[in-house]
Amino acid sequence: MVFHFVDQILELDPGRHALGIKHVTSGESFVRPNAGGRATLLSCIIGEALGQLGAWNVMAAKDFAVRPVAGVVGEVAISGEAAVGDSVLLDTTIDSVTDDAVFYHAAASVGGATVLRLENTLGPLLPMEQFNDPKEMRERFAGICHSGDSTGAPETGESTAPPFDLSFDEILSFESCKEAAAVRTLSGSEAFLKDHFPRKPVLPLSLLLESLLQLGQKLLEDGGSLYVPTGAQRVKMSRFVEPGDSLVVKVRVSERNAKNALLKFRSEVEGERVCVGQAEYRAVIGENR
Amino acid sequence: MNTDTIYPKVREIIADVLAFDVEEIQRDGSLVDDYSAESIDFLDLVYQLEREFKIKIPRGMIEQEARRGIGDEDFEEHGRLTEKGLEHLKEYLSEVPEDRFTPKMQVSLIPTLFTPETFCKIVLREMEGGGQAASD
Repeated sequence: MVFHFVDQILELDPGRHALGIKHVTSGESFVRPNAGGRATLLSCIIGEALGQLGAWNVMAAKDFAVRPVAGVVGEVAISGEAAVGDSVLLDTTIDSVTDDAVFYHAAASVGGATVLRLENTLGPLLPMEQFNDPKEMRERFAGICHSGDSTGAPETGESTAPPFDLSFDEILSFESCKEAAAVRTLSGSEAFLKDHFPRKPVLPLSLLLESLLQLGQKLLEDGGSLYVPTGAQRVKMSRFVEPGDSLVVKVRVSERNAKNALLKFRSEVEGERVCVGQAEYRAVIGENR
Repeated sequence: MNTDTIYPKVREIIADVLAFDVEEIQRDGSLVDDYSAESIDFLDLVYQLEREFKIKIPRGMIEQEARRGIGDEDFEEHGRLTEKGLEHLKEYLSEVPEDRFTPKMQVSLIPTLFTPETFCKIVLREMEGGGQAASD
């Protein structure tokens, strides 16, 4: 279980609403020290968990004939963190389901405080058979619907998964506070590809976005100033990134002042658009986030 | 009501969906050729229009409506428009500049013809009671 983030589904109103839990444990691939040194789950993985809960709901409502994939996220708003030991409450509301897409919004909270929201999110629905074994998905779904007391220990316990490497293979250009370009080739041996997806391994939008946000963060650093991402808007994934693809990422600073910054990003494979959007940051000079 | 009434809002939504400035969106521009719209953008656009105007736009509606009143065999042959099909399409997509239609064009390329005005017409039709009712 490398890339499944819903530990338990607490409530399910098929095709409409779901509540779930993600326990953050030490040793997870996607836990990192934050600016203050506290081990926290990558924000984009919280977003991924929300998307996965929405996906479970739609897949179950559609009898596992189709599954959603990443399409458009109108807004990601990051307002807090989930640290090791925290249980993240996932709340996903489906606004509409058609034959070809699901539209939803979602919020993740820790101890009653919202840590991340997704708004105006769209996922195209594609035939399940192309991505997963429907039988295996049904079994997994049954497992997380009946995994006992939500306050209990996470089902996977402590793991020793190697940390996910967010870095690029090469920085192609870098002009501090202006723009940067970097490339990463998906080798096919990345651990998350096993789950995302077994029959069609592709780079998850959440990880692409996390890499972009981190590249943007480096780009904004200048003379000791530090900016942290507070969200992203109109993030759109228009094609899959598969093993062997070289993903070129371009990030450009659109606005930057003492308090905030806005970045535009675009990524491509062989000149074809893969993902576009913008990201917002706030300055946290001398502050522990 | 006519499409002039809703165009400003439709234009704003198109600009937002395709990440352009509103001023850059021309009413007769090709969403695919001029603004690089891809299939995910059309999904997004239709959904945003549905939300804004509180309507339902049936998927594949444009092509279905363009085929109305003409048999499949008269409309296309081996995935390409027949002469009759082309004339039918031109009449249906009357807002699209004539020179963008090509003889024997592939049916799969019909979306490359769509303009902001095409979507204004769709929205208007749905606001006024739906495509089916309007043309039947």
